[in-house]
Amino acid sequence: MSFLTSLTLLKRRPSGTERKSREWVKVGIPRFLNVWGTAPFWTAFFQSLGVGKVVFSSETSEEQYRTYGKGRVTMDSCYPVKALAGHIGELLHKDINLLVVPMIYSLPSFLKGYVQDTLSCTRVMMAPENIKAGFLREGDEFAKRGIRYVSPFVPFGEPELLPLYLYRALRSAIEDITMEEVKLAVEEGFKALREFDRKARELSLKIIRWCTTNNRPAVLILARPYHMDPGIGHEIDAEFQLLGYPVLWYNYLPLEDWLLNWLFGKDVEEGRIRHPLDISDVWTSSYSSNTNEIIWGAKFGSRLPWITAVIRLSSYECGMDQPTFTPVQRIVESSGTMFFKFGELDETKPSGSVRIRVETIAYYLQQYSQKIIEAKLKRLPPVPHQLVVY
Amino acid sequence: MRGQQDYLAYRPRPFRKEERSKVTLLYGGLTWKHERLLQGALENMGYRAKPLPQIERKDLDIGKEFVDVGACCPTTFTAGNLARTLETLKKEEGEDGVKENYVFVTVGACGPCRFGQYHESYERVLEGLNLREFRMYLLDLMRMEQAVEGGGLEINTPLTLGLFMGMFLGDLITDMEYSTRPYEKEQGKTDKVVEESIQILYEALKNRPLRGKKWGNLLWHLFTDYFTKALKEVKKLWDEVEVDRLQPKPKVKITGEFWLQTHEGEGNYNIKRWLEREGAEVIPPPVAVWMDYLIHMEIFKLEDAKPFVKGYFLKKTVATLVAYLYRRTYDRLRKALGNIPNPLPSQRELRRLAEPYFHYRLTGGEGHMLIGKALYALKHKQAHMICELSPYGCLPNTMSVGAMAKVLADYPHLLYAPIEVKGDAEVHALSRCQMVLTEAKKRAKEEFYQVLEMTGLTLERIREFEEDNPHIRRATYHVPRYGFVGTAANYVYHVAQLMRGRR
Repeated sequence: MSFLTSLTLLKRRPSGTERKSREWVKVGIPRFLNVWGTAPFWTAFFQSLGVGKVVFSSETSEEQYRTYGKGRVTMDSCYPVKALAGHIGELLHKDINLLVVPMIYSLPSFLKGYVQDTLSCTRVMMAPENIKAGFLREGDEFAKRGIRYVSPFVPFGEPELLPLYLYRALRSAIEDITMEEVKLAVEEGFKALREFDRKARELSLKIIRWCTTNNRPAVLILARPYHMDPGIGHEIDAEFQLLGYPVLWYNYLPLEDWLLNWLFGKDVEEGRIRHPLDISDVWTSSYSSNTNEIIWGAKFGSRLPWITAVIRLSSYECGMDQPTFTPVQRIVESSGTMFFKFGELDETKPSGSVRIRVETIAYYLQQYSQKIIEAKLKRLPPVPHQLVVY
Repeated sequence: MRGQQDYLAYRPRPFRKEERSKVTLLYGGLTWKHERLLQGALENMGYRAKPLPQIERKDLDIGKEFVDVGACCPTTFTAGNLARTLETLKKEEGEDGVKENYVFVTVGACGPCRFGQYHESYERVLEGLNLREFRMYLLDLMRMEQAVEGGGLEINTPLTLGLFMGMFLGDLITDMEYSTRPYEKEQGKTDKVVEESIQILYEALKNRPLRGKKWGNLLWHLFTDYFTKALKEVKKLWDEVEVDRLQPKPKVKITGEFWLQTHEGEGNYNIKRWLEREGAEVIPPPVAVWMDYLIHMEIFKLEDAKPFVKGYFLKKTVATLVAYLYRRTYDRLRKALGNIPNPLPSQRELRRLAEPYFHYRLTGGEGHMLIGKALYALKHKQAHMICELSPYGCLPNTMSVGAMAKVLADYPHLLYAPIEVKGDAEVHALSRCQMVLTEAKKRAKEEFYQVLEMTGLTLERIREFEEDNPHIRRATYHVPRYGFVGTAANYVYHVAQLMRGRR
């Protein structure tokens, strides 16, 4: 934690709730599923509680799963869920005494207020209960190593209830913890998350400005947040970067009013949508947070001229992605933007075939990007001055 | 700029009130019994209604032609069923006939579970058949009052309550059916009585008097003897079904994903009938349990949010009253059938039993209920074995199946058969089930002979007693439970009590 952050924390802390030193608490958190996208919250949350350290498991890898996860999975599921076994197993071999595996029920989505709900996929939220069983059925593997296992129910979409569930879960492991402290820590967590989000979106805007100024194409990735994990998304995005194409992720696109009004203003004027973040024109069951954001990302990608190709990543057996395949592709392609899908991603990284496909896509990018940019620009009002950097 | 000029979410044309008399509502997804009763409730409100034809194996193949790859089997089967129906209607009445004379009504729930998104797959069917003009409406399962654009279909209190009654009655007759058929003396008699019962109840729903609009209607449904009278008439039919309960059969409780567990047909390999043919007594899952779960989830959420809810005590009282009246209504109807159908399990107990293994707020599909139900059946000696039906690729159920690993470690005595249903791998699924069923059969027999030994009775002696007391061989004769699982074991103990002049 930086010096400035420490000062802010102290300033905001109500009297009588001085931070307790909990140097003895060493927290381990698996780097899995929706922890991707919420990690800054967890770090700031536990720092605010004064724990000794917060350790994340490594990125997902075949080795991790083989070494620590095999034999712990008791059902068939998508790989991102099964991989949790490897993360938990790995953390059992780290210097921790409190293992926190959050059951993230809903997410703090930027689309909140414009969609029906911001829930996690049911498998994603339930994964901890499932994988935990594999570490308990033949004896308590956590207790054997002197580690307390805590799995809080985490409704980011219900911020008033979030401290309650976190407090309920943590009080069994940290006896002197108080509700007031948890409330404060949640505030700190959200603040850190907002700050991270702001910076990431700022970087995306920087990329878009660069593309605008240099008239260069970019690639937009539509996936789930955990496809940023190299072991889940197999670094397909990095392959495009290696070839010189800037990559944008749907969940960190810039949300500046002037930009959204440029792209979606006409739809709002015509009454097709209430707001640039409204997706009801193309998607009516807007319960799932990640799905909603993917759909909105597709709309954004179909409009922004310099996004000339959209890359869809999807894991094998993803039931949340399945109903979206046709709508997403059609939203993107209807504007002439190229659409490519890497589906059925699983445990093994098919490096060779990924590279061949990326090279093929790169050929199309090189061949058609300028035409796509021109065609998309023609359908929009003049480029906003904020987008051009001289 | 229009980023998605060619793609817009499906929006059905309005269905106008004046079209009601010529437009038929199509619906499906439940057993033929439930669907027929819902038809009665809809016709009672002035609608033309027709259930989709029963699911067939070929619907899976038809569905695969239309929906995006990777769909679960309930999505594929139901989408295929819809496609088959629309294609048939197109042949019979032409494209315009289908578009103008029919609408399809479906429900959504569960939020992030795929159940809430089935309609996306149905949209692919409409596109594939070039029937985007055909009207399909998605209704919210949890809303008492809603209407489609144009007012052609209005879900108001009388209709909602009629549908609820239809659901309850369908559940109760299904319970009667499955507790009777394995023991019927005259083969085929149960099925015949089921058909007759459903017809009586269909007529009752169709001719239901419409008293009051909202609160008046609600009160009428809560206190009327209209439905219990109809059920008493039905009970007379069941009185005539003679059963032989001296057959030790394993009781198999069906749990699982909503559609698969309630389904009776090729969508789940007809597994309930298959289990009966293999010598089991099946405990079917009532739709009412799932509705009860949804009501209780609202109560649980309310309790958690107590410090933040304005007027908490009033809201809690209302919600608790709704839950109480729901159960009371179900129990009143059960009573009219001699309490043969099973009572609804306590949702609080299901939650408590599942708590160490599955958090109650992890909703989607059946949530914690699958674990709760398995433990409930074990603790209450309700079944020898649990058969959980999960569709291949089901989002929530795979998670609770995984969590069951710890449950089985804690309760090694629990016989649990999780069956993954793909729709096209029948032999594999049934053989897995059979392995567990073999052990369940053994247990049922052991228990039966233990009770015979304990009571000192012989089969001959019991048969003689039955000859003198033929009423105990009626399907509607209620055999109390004495702490044994099997029907036969409880029956033997009961006869022993009767012989001693006690009950």
